[in-house]
Amino acid sequence: MLEVAELRSGYGPLEILQGVSLQVPPGIIVGVIGPNGAGKSTLLKTVYGYLSPFAGRVTLGDRNLVGLRPDQIARLGAGFVAQAGGLFADMTVHENLTLGGYALGSRRAAGPAVDAVYEQFPLLRDRRRQVAGSLSGGEQRALALARALVARPRLLLLDEPSAALAPCFIEDVYAAIVALNRMGIALLIVEQNVEMILSVAHRVFVLDLGRNAFDGAPGELRASDRIRRLYLGEGPPAGIPA
Amino acid sequence: MLDVINVAHGEFFAVGGYLIFAAVVLMHWPGAAGVALAGLGAFALGLAVYPLLIAPLKRRLGRRPAGSLYLVLTLGLSTFMQSSLLALAGGDYRRVPPLAPGILELSFTGVSYQRLLVVGMASVLLTGLFVFLAWHRQGLAVRAVAQNPDAAQAMGINLDRIFSLTLALGVALAGIGGALMAPLFNVYPAVGFPLTIKAFAITILGGMGNLLGALFASLLVGMAESLVVMVIPSQWQNGVAFVVMIAVLLLRPQGLLGRASSR
Repeated sequence: MLEVAELRSGYGPLEILQGVSLQVPPGIIVGVIGPNGAGKSTLLKTVYGYLSPFAGRVTLGDRNLVGLRPDQIARLGAGFVAQAGGLFADMTVHENLTLGGYALGSRRAAGPAVDAVYEQFPLLRDRRRQVAGSLSGGEQRALALARALVARPRLLLLDEPSAALAPCFIEDVYAAIVALNRMGIALLIVEQNVEMILSVAHRVFVLDLGRNAFDGAPGELRASDRIRRLYLGEGPPAGIPA
Repeated sequence: MLDVINVAHGEFFAVGGYLIFAAVVLMHWPGAAGVALAGLGAFALGLAVYPLLIAPLKRRLGRRPAGSLYLVLTLGLSTFMQSSLLALAGGDYRRVPPLAPGILELSFTGVSYQRLLVVGMASVLLTGLFVFLAWHRQGLAVRAVAQNPDAAQAMGINLDRIFSLTLALGVALAGIGGALMAPLFNVYPAVGFPLTIKAFAITILGGMGNLLGALFASLLVGMAESLVVMVIPSQWQNGVAFVVMIAVLLLRPQGLLGRASSR
C-alpha cells in the first residue's frame, strides 16, 4: 500500500535520510526503530508532505505522494499522529474529534463518524466537553488516536506513541493500536520503546544514520546477534521477555 | 489569528463606505442592499490579498523569520488602496444619507437611529462571528489553524484556503462597518486610517488573536474616550486610546486577557 523507495530528505542542506526504502502492505503494523538522530521522525514528516524529499519515491496505492501537501495526503486516507499527539489543546474533546472528521467533507458526515469513535473510546464521551489540554497524558494520547480514526483512514503514521508516557498508559496506547489494526488499518510506527513495538509489529525496519540497517520480522531481529547488540543492548533487559 | 497584522484593514472600511455611496446615492439602491454590497465587495477583494500578497512572501521566506515584513507589506497595500481610491473617486468628502433617519429623544440626551443601527448590527455580526467560530466546520478549522497549523493540515485542512477565508471575513466586517458608519463620518480615501491605528491599540490591549479580549478592549477604549472629556479638554480625546495602549504595553505586554505564555 505505502511504498517508499530510495528516499533522500533533510533540512536545508543537511541530508538526514540517505536513501531509505520500506513498504507497508495493507493491514500490517510496521515498526521503525533506531538510535536518536537516525532520521525516524524525518522519515514520517517526508512521507506525509511536511518536508519535501531531495530524491526518491513515495507512493500510496497508485498515487504518488511526492509534492502533495499534508492536507491532500490526509484526504487520500492516510492519518498522521504527531509525537505529542498534536492536539488542539484549547478546544474541547468533541471539537478535536469533529475536526478529525474534517476530511469527510461536511459536519453531517463527521457526526456519525465521531459517534462511532465514542463507542470505541467511551472514556472520551464522558469527557466530551472537557478542554483537550486538561486531559491526562494517557487520555490525550487516546484522543489523538481517536481523532485520527474519525476520518476512517487506511493507513496511520504514528510518531513515538509511547513518548513521555507513564508505563501503565503505554500499555493502554498499545492496546488501542492493536485494536485499530484489527479494524484493518495499516500502521507505520516510529518508536523508541523497542520492546513495545516488537511485541505488536509484523515487520520491523532499523534505521541508522539515515539508511536501512535491517528489514525483517521481529523474530529475525531478535535472532540477529549483531543487530541485538547494536540496537537492543546486550541481550534483553531483565524482566522483559525476549 | 493569522499572526499577520493587516494595516490595510482601514482601507477596506473606506471601500465599504464608497460601495454604499455608489449603491445608495448613485444607483438609488435600498440601504440594506448597499450594506450587503459593501460586505460582499470587501470580502471579494479580501479573498485576493492572501494568495496575491502574503502567500508569495511566505513561500519566498521559507523557514526564515518574517520579522516586520508582513507589516511593511500590508502598509504598502494600505497606501496603494488609498491612492487608488483617490484616483478613482477623487478627494471630495462623499455624503451618504442615514439608513435609519431620525433621532431617538431620551429625557437626558438624543441618540440618532443610525448610531443605534450601528450598535445593533455590530452585536448581530459579533454574535454571528462567535457562532461561526464555535459551530461551523470552517470556523472550527480557523481556530484549529490558529492553534496548531501542522496538526490542522493532518486533519485535511488546506492552510492557504483558511488563511484567505480568515482575512476575507475580517475585511468584510470592516467593509460593513464602513458602510454603516458612512452616514456618520462622510467618506474620503483616508477615512479608515485612524481607525486602523485605533484597532491596533484595541488588538494589543485585548491580546493578539483573542476575540473576547478585543471585544472587552474596544468597550474599554470607547468608554475611556467618552468619559475622559469630563476631566480633560475634548481635543485631547483622540489620544486617549494610545495612552491606554502604551500603558498596557508597559505593564501587561501580553494584553489584558492574553496569557503570558501564549506568544
